[in-house]
Amino acid sequence: MKPLDRPEPGFHLSAFAASQNRDDREPRPVSGSSSPGNPVRAPGAVRLAHESVVSTWLRLPPTVRGYGLPIGASLLVAAVVAVVEPGFYRPANLHVVMQQYAVLGLVTLGQVLVLLVSGIDLSVGAVMNAALITIALMNHYNENLLLLSLVLCILIGAGVGVTNGLLVSLRNVPPFAATLGMTACVQGAILVYTKGIPAGNIPTALRPIALDGIGIVPFSLLICLAIGLMVIVFLSRGSYGRTIYAVGRSPEVARRVGISTTAVRVSAYMLCGVFAALAGIILSAYVGYVDPAIGGTYNLQSIAAAVVGGVSFIGGEGRPAGALIGALFLLTVLNVTTLSSLNPFTQLIVQGVVMLVAVSLFHLVKRSSIA
Amino acid sequence: MSRQSVPRVFSRSGTGFAVLAAALLALTACGGPSGTPGAKTYTIAFISQGTSNSWAAQLDAVARKAAKADGVKLVYFNGQGDATKQLPEIDTAIAQKPDAIVLVPLGGAADTGPVERAMSQNIKVILCDSTITSQNYTSLVTPHAETAAVPLAQWLADKMNHQGNLLYIGGLPGNTTTITYDQGFNSVMQKYPNIHIINGGNANYSISTAKQLAATAIASGKTFTGAWGVGGEAVTGLMQALIDAKVSPAPPIGGAAATNGILRLAIENKMEVASLQFPPTSSQVCIDTAFKAVKGETVPKSVNISELPQYGPILPPLDKYYKPQFSDDMYVGTDSVLTVDELKALNLVK
Repeated sequence: MKPLDRPEPGFHLSAFAASQNRDDREPRPVSGSSSPGNPVRAPGAVRLAHESVVSTWLRLPPTVRGYGLPIGASLLVAAVVAVVEPGFYRPANLHVVMQQYAVLGLVTLGQVLVLLVSGIDLSVGAVMNAALITIALMNHYNENLLLLSLVLCILIGAGVGVTNGLLVSLRNVPPFAATLGMTACVQGAILVYTKGIPAGNIPTALRPIALDGIGIVPFSLLICLAIGLMVIVFLSRGSYGRTIYAVGRSPEVARRVGISTTAVRVSAYMLCGVFAALAGIILSAYVGYVDPAIGGTYNLQSIAAAVVGGVSFIGGEGRPAGALIGALFLLTVLNVTTLSSLNPFTQLIVQGVVMLVAVSLFHLVKRSSIA
Repeated sequence: MSRQSVPRVFSRSGTGFAVLAAALLALTACGGPSGTPGAKTYTIAFISQGTSNSWAAQLDAVARKAAKADGVKLVYFNGQGDATKQLPEIDTAIAQKPDAIVLVPLGGAADTGPVERAMSQNIKVILCDSTITSQNYTSLVTPHAETAAVPLAQWLADKMNHQGNLLYIGGLPGNTTTITYDQGFNSVMQKYPNIHIINGGNANYSISTAKQLAATAIASGKTFTGAWGVGGEAVTGLMQALIDAKVSPAPPIGGAAATNGILRLAIENKMEVASLQFPPTSSQVCIDTAFKAVKGETVPKSVNISELPQYGPILPPLDKYYKPQFSDDMYVGTDSVLTVDELKALNLVK
């Protein structure tokens, strides 16, 4: 049972805000973990070592604990990478990583918002495809319509997001089914419109967004980080953030304190759609060619990045900064396995194992924090 | 039929009835599948790769045209570019009891069971472009590694002077076309131990994935004296990565089916690319083979389409193959079977 499922009489939003971050709660005495009511089976020495580690961990400030694992994991990966694949730190490779990170980072930010309201969005890939097709077809013969096509991409993303949000909130369609259905609709619309053959052109004027930048930092990464900063600030400081967490933790309680859960959910899905459209625009600029399956793997990658970064599937838990670090972790693993020139099948195993270890570690540490 | 039951227009005179009878006879004679009066109209279930990419769309268009020309009824089943989605479509097709099935297999192992079920129900099964893990089918229409990938791989090895790093971007694991091309590629490269194959990963027939993989490999600092991509998407992604990384001179690239876009990129950026004229016209051969099989004619167990005149290596200089009036997505040679109007209907004409 989540702490807010049973509100105290007189509960109001400010009280919720004060308790919205579970990691802010005072840690319980470590001795509780080895009390008779909560037996620990480890033998003496191991148990003491475990308790010492947990105790040290719990004494850290909440912010450090919140970001500790993703940052720690990233630092660990950075150290391992320096030994295993030093080519990773070549400026040219870092430039490529940043280009690819800008796309995954944006999609992950949107996915975080949806996950925080207990949802999931499996239509981000389709929105990215729609963005590319829109740009390619509107700029087929000349590039005068570039700006208009970009606005249309954002509107399509927002429209898909709003529809998802309304389906989930008003029709009580499970988020998985609603967004999967929306994927089919968007892909179907693309096929009807293009007859299965997406002709067109990615305007050269769009390409500097992804290819150029300041030094080795592409403009696309700056866009991603700027949006990421805004999301972090809005979620941690503003009332919007509090309502997002409130709806994710307990919609019923949120409703009782006067939050429009529908508006909050719809806004989260809408922002997710907009971010996916932006990611689609940036990826189109990066690829520079009409590929109707451009968003292919981003549904699962964005969810994986968010989960690795500490965002919970059950809603109301996690931070966008953690998810951004999770995305960096994921992309680093993908990049290093590619650089390693391993057999692609082996690459998949390595990626899978590293992901599983990261997620398991996160949950282990989180459980220790709550214990 | 009594005279009273005959429509009034015909009851006045026997002339009208005779004209109608003659017209019906003429229609029957002309409209039968083989021009034989009273001949049966055969039904062929076409289980496609489906609405997944421009290759599949062109393959479907050619199949429909071939069926119309042969006078067979074509029932279309959409594989949606996914082996798991294609499987139930095969079962649905079998349940319709068609005279023949033309299947573009997306999963060689997965499709084996349904194909064997169809064969046990005396339905002719023609495998198109790709195969299954059994010999229990009527005919297999596909390219052969020796005649498809080998000339391209040999060209690439020669261009590399049989040494150096070769960046390899793969296709779709488990896909039999990918396996066929890999066999051809490996059979050549294993002769040259000084060619070091750097495996960049599988692009799964996605341009963006290929570009990302190739960009990462290029950024690693390794020098490549050659590159290979399985499929037009992999080659396109490879080329985009080399262009954007401003690699000059770009290493020679070998790969599979040639699109108009690959030729355009190569010409515009002065890149040396060897690809295969491999238009998605195999569906025409598949439908024709199925039609012959249902008529009772003997059909070969295996048809090597890469030996047909529409197929063959496209080696530099590429100018003579590039057709600027068509879009990037047109596979070189498709215009040999589809008219300009038909290509226009597929968004393939600029």
